[in-house]
Amino acid sequence: MTGCDSLLKITYYGKTSFALEFNETVILLNPGIWDGEKIVPDDFMARVVISTNQADDAVGNAAAIAVNSKAWFLGNKGAGEKATEQGVKPWLLHELKPEVPYEIPDVKIVPYALTRLEGGERMENLGLYIEIGDMKVGYLGDTIIRGPFEHLDMDVLITPVGGDGVFPVKDAVSLCIDAKPRVGIPMRWTSNEEPQKFAKYIEQFGQGVIPVVMEPSQVLEVQWAAGNEFRYELN
Amino acid sequence: MSENRKVVIDLEETEKSELGETSELKNIEASGVLSVNNVSEKSRIWNVKVLLNESRDKTDIGEEILTAGEVDAGGKWESEYGISVKAPIVTFTEVFDTCGTVETEDPHWAYVLGKENPVKITLTIKNETSGELDNIILNKTIPPELSNIEVVSTKSGVAEYDEGTKQIVWKDFVIYPKESSELVISATGTVEDIEPKSAGEVVITYRGEGQQRSVLDPDLSALTEFLTGIETAETEPNTWECTLECSNESDLIVRLDKAEVYLTPEDGGAKQKMIDETPGIEMSPDQEWRSSFQVNSKSTPKCTQELAYTPAKTVAKRVLGTIEKKAQVIPVYDIEYTKEFDPPSVASFDKTPVEITIEVKNTGTAKLNEITIEDNLPDDIMPPTSEHISVWVRGKKFSGPFEFTIDPEDQDPEKPHKMTFRVEDLKDAGGELEPGESLKINYAVMAWRNRPEKEYPSPIVCTANTYPAGMPVVDESPEDGHKLGVIYKKRAISTKKAINKGSGAGEYVVVLVVANNGEVTAENIEVTDWIPAGFEYVSTDPEDEAPEVFPVAEGGNYMVWTWQRMNPGDKKKIKVTVQGEGEYERREPEVTSI
Repeated sequence: MTGCDSLLKITYYGKTSFALEFNETVILLNPGIWDGEKIVPDDFMARVVISTNQADDAVGNAAAIAVNSKAWFLGNKGAGEKATEQGVKPWLLHELKPEVPYEIPDVKIVPYALTRLEGGERMENLGLYIEIGDMKVGYLGDTIIRGPFEHLDMDVLITPVGGDGVFPVKDAVSLCIDAKPRVGIPMRWTSNEEPQKFAKYIEQFGQGVIPVVMEPSQVLEVQWAAGNEFRYELN
Repeated sequence: MSENRKVVIDLEETEKSELGETSELKNIEASGVLSVNNVSEKSRIWNVKVLLNESRDKTDIGEEILTAGEVDAGGKWESEYGISVKAPIVTFTEVFDTCGTVETEDPHWAYVLGKENPVKITLTIKNETSGELDNIILNKTIPPELSNIEVVSTKSGVAEYDEGTKQIVWKDFVIYPKESSELVISATGTVEDIEPKSAGEVVITYRGEGQQRSVLDPDLSALTEFLTGIETAETEPNTWECTLECSNESDLIVRLDKAEVYLTPEDGGAKQKMIDETPGIEMSPDQEWRSSFQVNSKSTPKCTQELAYTPAKTVAKRVLGTIEKKAQVIPVYDIEYTKEFDPPSVASFDKTPVEITIEVKNTGTAKLNEITIEDNLPDDIMPPTSEHISVWVRGKKFSGPFEFTIDPEDQDPEKPHKMTFRVEDLKDAGGELEPGESLKINYAVMAWRNRPEKEYPSPIVCTANTYPAGMPVVDESPEDGHKLGVIYKKRAISTKKAINKGSGAGEYVVVLVVANNGEVTAENIEVTDWIPAGFEYVSTDPEDEAPEVFPVAEGGNYMVWTWQRMNPGDKKKIKVTVQGEGEYERREPEVTSI
């Protein structure tokens, strides 16, 4: 699947970090820091960097990446404040508000207020509905609730599966069954058994949803061939 | 009948066989006793020799001639010998079939624990010789596990069950050459523990008159009271008639084999054989035999004689046999299963994948060749697809063939489903399930919005069988067994309402806040609020939360919002602008959900 203008490349960096690349637009999602380790290098070049909440595993080194690549930093209020503390210039910062779309050429992002549990406390987390090219991608970030996502028409749904303040496997599977995206991608697992179970359950009960378990550095290419045939390929 | 008395050479040979559990020959020993029986009432025999010559093959007799010395009238001389044989003259087979009601090529060989096993015992004796077998007596020990013992059929003879000795005795029959006879017994086998049981020994004795296991062909050489002499009588001058006279003085029959008379010439020189006969006759007691010749001689002729005679013999032979068959060991088959849900309980009104793991363990003492698991899923459970089942045997992933069916063959969670897993011919797919080993299957189902007030039993029936398959052993749950737990999560949808003055005249802003404060996702939420008569619906903020508005008979309009799902903590704030005249009467909104 090369040489096609409608190709969306989804690159996985581990945990909850993904990059969506369409034409020359790169959107980096949740470049978090986990156990002191950066998932995405500081010199990563993106046009938009988004953190869906203010926790370190979501903001991570987003500020450094945004500064280095002169990218927009998008996040809710808490994430924006944290990014500002870490050096993001105010003119490159855009606060995402629930259900208020953010648009740039080829990209429209609608955030929805979701929730994660952090130390037993609720923390706002934004679920992102991203229309990029002719693809519709749902990215739940770190969420323990599904919000309106079961009603959204999605080609790709990226959902946490690891429990511990976010969806466990069962809720991720349940959402995929209800929302029926074409591809379901698990993230943020804490054991290798979780994505395997996710895939196993989606294969059995997903009623057409294709589970794609990505390893870090793997790239999933998706496109609507001829405008009406969904194709995907995992490198 | 004294004139018919012959010395009896008796060959009484004995064979003793040991058969294994399945009637295979384990050991055979054969031996014999050769005896010379002087049946005379008065005549001793002496210089007795038994001539065996080349017929000693298969025996351990070292000499061609056995010297018996003298045997008094009515006496006996004996010599024992060993015989080398490979098989008895009788073939015996016992078929102990623990499930005689199911016909199979090979018999069933294990009891089902706690069931009434329809046992069929078939005992077959075959005469492998060309002579008759008689004096056959078969004793079959009936083990204590068997009851309702009945002799179903006997091809010949009489078979009876002795309750006191717990023995079946079969006797009073002969078996003709190369033929066989059969006894069929039926019984009910009931075992209450898994220890292997004895099927009972069998002992058979038989007699084959006129038969022998060795190839001994004995002859006899002996002397007895036998009078011989030469009478010389001058019939004319210098002419003599010489007569050899023999007389059997014993009460035995004597066979005269050779009679020779030699004449010594008057003038010396070599002796001349004058009588040379091999009469070979058997002389009865007191019978005489003579032979004569004439010779010219001036003096009384000088004759000498050479005779060969022996008491006549007859050979009697028989085979006495014993077969002892070792009791077959009958193991017992039994299974136990476990069934687990992971998680054991699901939240009500949710969709939750549940792993079902069923393990069937061989808790008996017999090897199992096939396992069947019938698992029943209630409604509100989405069954798996048939390709998503994992199977382990002996703790290792099983790659052999198995069958997994789902009835009905769909994934409709509104219907109950029966799933049947069957693995046959384990013997050809890695080996039968040995005692202590287990088979485990795992598959996932999707609990589908289960209701807390409802019960979800998932009964199971596990069966197992041996090879060949007979009566299956069953371990099953009660019909209402294995209930999937449903954790009741409280539903709590709250609605709050405020009526605020709007910016324009007669304009009001009705604020509705609907929140799911419960512990479970609410679905199909329907909120209804009333607009009093005189007021009209204008708009909603946010716009995509606009309600359906329709008039009501009593006056005014209803606004109805429907949401498919609200998660715990979800909240919706809706501002509805209405406009009209008069007092805006407040009524509380109504909310319903599942």
